[in-house]
Amino acid sequence: MDETAELAAFRAEVRDFALTRCPPEIRAVVAANGKLGRKQWAPWQRILHAHGWGAPSWPKEHGGTGWDQRRRHIFDEVLAECDCPPQYHHGLRHLGPVLIAFGTEEQKARFLPGILSGEDWWCQGYSEPGAGSDLASLKTRAVREGEEYVVTGQKLWTSHAHEADWMYTLVRTNAEVKRQEGITLLLIPLDAPGIRVREVRTIDGWHHVNEVFLDAVRVPVANRIGEENKGWTYGKFLLDRERLGGANVAPAFRFLDRCRALVARELAAPGQALKREQLEYRLLLAEAELRGARELGRAAVEAVMAGEPLGLMPSELKLSTADTVQRIGAIALDAVGERVASRFRPVDASGPNAEVEDIEWVQNFMYLRAKTIFGGSNEVQKNVVAKQLFGM
Amino acid sequence: MAFEPKPMLPGDAHDAARRFAEASATTLARLQEPAARAAELAVQWDALLELGWAGMLVPEDCGGAGGTLLDMAALAEGAGSAALALPLVAVCAVAPTLLAGQPLLLAELAAGRLQPCVVLAGGITAETGRLSGRALGVETPPVPGHALVAVEDALYLLDLGTAGAGFTRHERIDGRLTLDLELQGAPARLLAADAGASIARARDLGALLSCVEAVAAMGTLIRQTIDYLLQRQQFGTALASFQALRHRVAEMYVAWRNLTGLVQAALRTPEERNIAFAKLRLGEAGRFVAEQAIQVHGGMGMTEELPATRLARRILMAEFEWGDRHAQAARLLAAA
Repeated sequence: MDETAELAAFRAEVRDFALTRCPPEIRAVVAANGKLGRKQWAPWQRILHAHGWGAPSWPKEHGGTGWDQRRRHIFDEVLAECDCPPQYHHGLRHLGPVLIAFGTEEQKARFLPGILSGEDWWCQGYSEPGAGSDLASLKTRAVREGEEYVVTGQKLWTSHAHEADWMYTLVRTNAEVKRQEGITLLLIPLDAPGIRVREVRTIDGWHHVNEVFLDAVRVPVANRIGEENKGWTYGKFLLDRERLGGANVAPAFRFLDRCRALVARELAAPGQALKREQLEYRLLLAEAELRGARELGRAAVEAVMAGEPLGLMPSELKLSTADTVQRIGAIALDAVGERVASRFRPVDASGPNAEVEDIEWVQNFMYLRAKTIFGGSNEVQKNVVAKQLFGM
Repeated sequence: MAFEPKPMLPGDAHDAARRFAEASATTLARLQEPAARAAELAVQWDALLELGWAGMLVPEDCGGAGGTLLDMAALAEGAGSAALALPLVAVCAVAPTLLAGQPLLLAELAAGRLQPCVVLAGGITAETGRLSGRALGVETPPVPGHALVAVEDALYLLDLGTAGAGFTRHERIDGRLTLDLELQGAPARLLAADAGASIARARDLGALLSCVEAVAAMGTLIRQTIDYLLQRQQFGTALASFQALRHRVAEMYVAWRNLTGLVQAALRTPEERNIAFAKLRLGEAGRFVAEQAIQVHGGMGMTEELPATRLARRILMAEFEWGDRHAQAARLLAAA
């Protein structure tokens, strides 16, 4: 078989697996634009792992599939097309590769299997109240006492900390040197004494981010990745591995499809014709932009295959998709906002959000504001692009 | 080293068209009056025909080069990078597509003896081989000779020197020449009665190549904008140091890259839907890049002689060729 036929066969195999093996109740959450949590992700990861597909981006000797970038891209695309959850990334895509590259044999043996099987749940302790886009200014400090670090400080925007077992955490171990050179990467169990996780109530009404307070938390030195004060290097390694994350535009296309169906359903009455046509037009503009982004994503995958540098491609992808997806969310809000935004919180019942039909669209509109903030805000991305274009 | 746009279709054809277009622009820039520019364009058009570009898509047995879409697109990209003010796409790509299956006319076209303008928009009616009605702002070679006129699914060849055919000329915002055709029972030759499919194909090819030209012009425009901001000093520093301007340029660049992706997809698979989405996006991205370029050039952006302004106006005009963004949206929605 030639490469094209092989990839087509691979695509069909993944599709068949996704449609038959991903539990319908999990796919239903994705199809309804719901918020995913460990409850959906962990069983799905277990199923993938049992099939040998637990870690598409890892080498075979560590239990990965050993797939090249093209196959990984197809895998991610097909999962999204079939309304399967994207794999939970903190263990698999962030920490895993760092462990493989810089971890000790003991650390690999201890942590890689739990990531693969979905048994251990990880979150990322990076941002702090005073360190957002400017991450290197982080202040959570770790003081060495014998074979332990004593960690004190506060993390913020910690996604999924409330359902995670572990937090890979950047801490300051030296305040005297250049900021990037005094940072260390520690693996901290969230049930350690001195840790308190508090929900951050976000505008979407979903619980996904937290504050994590660390008060003299004792962490064994054996939980340090690599060398002390080299954490920034590992953190950057991790982010560089993630630079192709934006290449998969398939979830955005599914979101667009669902929004289009919503517009058709919500605005079917003759009296709604003008509004419907305007929203349909805006959907076409968004689709055009997503199609452009999909091509940029394919080009990025091919660049990796050819061993060429990605250059500005990751920033182009982010800037081509993040606010487009926001615009799709805004179209949906325009379709149902009058009916649903007016009934957001229940007054006489418990629970953060009202249980009214289509409320997910309002929640998503709010949630999607974060798209242009996290993972390098759009402003930071524009700085990156401009620096390259102007050569200064 | 500041930004230099990479062509989608690099090679000899691209470079030759680019050099031609750059030389053309340099000469035209010295001429103040539209009539003087039209006369110069006539000279340049003859030179372009000498290069055989009218035969690029004409089969070899009709005296053409038998080139592919990508060969033609490489010429369009090179020409577009300096906003060539000649009807390369209309005459050298759309016309031969309309004339497919007409070997004698194709041979005339390839030889440069037939230089038709192309009328695909409505407004003309036909009765027993006579055409009536008006068509406004039809892109034309500098010396109008013939018109290929679509009337619904029928295709006619009209000699503009014939009785009942009159025209006046204008210059478009991008410096190209157009005709307002006024037809009152002008006798025309029916080339095909059921040419609907080839008319649609020709219009799509025009739309795609307009996108190619515009993408190339956007690349040059972004480069010129960056060069200008690096050079221009205000408040004791280069404008390029101001974040508000840097972010605008980053947005222009991303819009251009995104459109480039769509155009490359349409070049790879030139089917109706891909072309419609690319042209739709050109309406948004092209307009944005043109407007921002004028804005960040400040007062200079309002002047007619600035090369960046000429590129911006070429990009603005490209949207209106072969169906604007709303026409593309209408057909995409109709097909849904």
